[in-house]
Amino acid sequence: MRPFKTVRDNAAAWVLLGLFVALPAGARINVVTLPGRDSVQLTIYNSADITLVKETRALTFRKGLNKLEFSWANTLIDPTSVEFKPLTHADAVDLLDVSFPPRVSNTLEWRIQSDFAGEVIVEIRYFTSGIGWDAGYVAEAARDEKAMTLAGSVRVTNHSGEDYENAQIRLVVGVIRLVEDILALAQQGQVAAQAGMPAATPAPVLMRAAKEESRTRMLGVDALMADKQKEIIKEGVSEYFLYTVEGRDTIPNGWAKRLPSFKTPEVPITSYYKFERERWNDQVMRYYRFTNSEPSKLGREPLPDGDVKAFRFITDDSLYAFVGRSAVKYIPVNESVEMELGADREVIVKPTLMNWNKTDLSFDNNGNVKGWTTRETWEFEVQNSKDIDVMLDIRRNFSGDWSLVTDAVYDKVDANKVKFVFPLKSREQRKFAYELTVKHGTNATR
Amino acid sequence: MKTTLLLTAFLVIVVAPAALARVKLVALPERARVVVSLTHPDATLIEEERIIALQKGVNKVDFSWRGVNIDGTSIQIRALTNPDKVIVLNTSYPPNENALIWEINSPAAQEERVRISYLLTGLTRDIVYKAIAEPDEKSLALRNYLRLRNESGEDLTEAELGIGYGAAFKKSIAHEEVLEMLSERIDSLPIRKLLTWDAATLPWDPEYEKKTVGIPLSYVITNSASSKLGRHTLLPGKVRIFIKTREQPVRDGEAPGDGVAFTGEDWAQLTPVDREMKLYIGQSRDVKVTQRRTKDERLNIRRNNSQQEVVWDKDEVYKIEIENFKKTIVDLVVVEHVPGYWKMVENSHTKEFRKKDAFTFEYHLALPAESTGTKKTTVTFELNRLNVQGNNELSTY
Repeated sequence: MRPFKTVRDNAAAWVLLGLFVALPAGARINVVTLPGRDSVQLTIYNSADITLVKETRALTFRKGLNKLEFSWANTLIDPTSVEFKPLTHADAVDLLDVSFPPRVSNTLEWRIQSDFAGEVIVEIRYFTSGIGWDAGYVAEAARDEKAMTLAGSVRVTNHSGEDYENAQIRLVVGVIRLVEDILALAQQGQVAAQAGMPAATPAPVLMRAAKEESRTRMLGVDALMADKQKEIIKEGVSEYFLYTVEGRDTIPNGWAKRLPSFKTPEVPITSYYKFERERWNDQVMRYYRFTNSEPSKLGREPLPDGDVKAFRFITDDSLYAFVGRSAVKYIPVNESVEMELGADREVIVKPTLMNWNKTDLSFDNNGNVKGWTTRETWEFEVQNSKDIDVMLDIRRNFSGDWSLVTDAVYDKVDANKVKFVFPLKSREQRKFAYELTVKHGTNATR
Repeated sequence: MKTTLLLTAFLVIVVAPAALARVKLVALPERARVVVSLTHPDATLIEEERIIALQKGVNKVDFSWRGVNIDGTSIQIRALTNPDKVIVLNTSYPPNENALIWEINSPAAQEERVRISYLLTGLTRDIVYKAIAEPDEKSLALRNYLRLRNESGEDLTEAELGIGYGAAFKKSIAHEEVLEMLSERIDSLPIRKLLTWDAATLPWDPEYEKKTVGIPLSYVITNSASSKLGRHTLLPGKVRIFIKTREQPVRDGEAPGDGVAFTGEDWAQLTPVDREMKLYIGQSRDVKVTQRRTKDERLNIRRNNSQQEVVWDKDEVYKIEIENFKKTIVDLVVVEHVPGYWKMVENSHTKEFRKKDAFTFEYHLALPAESTGTKKTTVTFELNRLNVQGNNELSTY
């Protein structure tokens, strides 16, 4: 479902119309030129399709009742979210009610009582769908895969139907709850009935939306064109993290823009390999492990979830080899993470069941077998054919009343899972074995 | 589907309030270098270098492609001449176009060598092996070819192609071209010729077969230094094996010519260093294997109160008779499968016996030349299978 195309083809048009109505209604109508936005701020969430738009405009009010029409054709604005707030002369300007006129979509009308005549700066806030952002990372591993340069970027995509010009952009890292889709609310065009929602106010006296085709801004007309990378300022708010992009940016409808967020060289990594038959059959999976911490030259803020592409330098003039691509989870500060980079066939783990026996049979009163014990000897052959040292993590899953005898060092992950973790030098081959005893039937004591 | 990779650089000096159409300048810098990395099995990485003329200040560099299957999210640009000073400020992606625009700041008007890298689909590689065995089948000459298939939409000129080992090739390959090149050649590579008779898959008594039983024939190559290999993992690919033959002389009295005959082919598996590549290339019908179970008795039968048999042991004896009709020694591996808990009681060939896993063992036999009739090789073994149950629970592995 991509409603954006039609939205885009019809250039977004929305209008803020100030009408000054002297009572009795209809006696005199003043239509003034629409004031442009003085400022606009986008707060974009990545966990849901929602962006909070905050804009300020300077309106000229007259004393008495003022009607203000706000319409937003061909955009993805949630009509239930539009809010009006005077920033200056707030004591004198009073919002009486808001009306969504019948048979007119994408329009609302505020009735405002003003005890002040003159210019008032107002803030208009609403939610829109269709703007999103995501994080991306490029990991450049050193030849020995002991360190990497990690570069993060954010990419903002605008399919909202509206060109937000010279906007301040804020990105929210965090998970928010929405009970209704903003896109669905926007596409209803009108405020739908909802429990606890008052009935629509009566029709306004008169209104006509004068549509102004907004110009489609092409890239290259950013009012501020900085000659350095824009800094992305990061701060924590409640359970969220807020990234504020320095300066202003224009992302026309249909466009996307990627901005560098950080670049950190010399982040220590471990080339980590995992084997677990229950998850990947006989494949050995490759990971880069690192910690989002200050000793690892990171750790200043959590890293949002995103896609990562990993490369490894293979020549002195920094040519790449492609290592793999994957998605990384949200990484809190001081958390250790793994980037899964796919199967690697140059690290081999070959488990072989070398002996199996069944003993200690016991019988019930009817003479049937009620308990027995099996003993398995497993031999593991491991080999690192790579030209770098790696860490290998082999996991085995057991069930029932089991016990393990081995010379190899292992850790119990949980009641039924153990792991053998050890370093493997370049071109190293080694073997280890364990004996697994499982008591079945009435032989089991746990 | 003609390639059009456009790279345009131009300077935006004036920030005009009016909207500007996106301008593509025609003056394209040629690629100064193209490097293709085929090391990853699923993705081809292209790195190309171009020299672009940057003006002082912010430059817009436009990169667009048509008819080329590039992963747009993978495109990166890196400055090589002044990596610390020439900075990529941001990347913009126009709607409905395979294009992007970099804003690059340069501290001065200068030429900058940049490296643009991206993942490309449609440029694939196959590894192809061709081998010519000596008539004695003790060694062969191996040729390892890289076969490139370019369906990427992109013409690559003088590209440096790397497959992760050995030196890079510098080649041109046009769109829709297939290019095969020799990447490695090893002469006199020692091989082992091996027949494998598996009791689970081949008939035990050839007398009851309508056709002569063929025993799978393999060549075994070890990827190690002693086999003149061992420098890198051998990649999977098709192996075609030929054997040298002596041809009839062209004219009477002349020396016989050299020729080859095709002996078979197989898919080589990925073979890391120090491991064996076993190529199953055909069948041998000059070796005859007859296996019989000569004893099959149950012992220690335990019954429940209803007189049903619950647990027992078994005593089994097997006899394998092998005849080699060839005039040479033949290496034969006999594979036996015994599930459950068992113990070997008697074994005529302990030196040749190899336990492979809990339920599999092998005999590695060297059959004397022309060992038939009374000279045949006879292997016997007796095993006891223990604690056999009516409902055997072997599902623990």
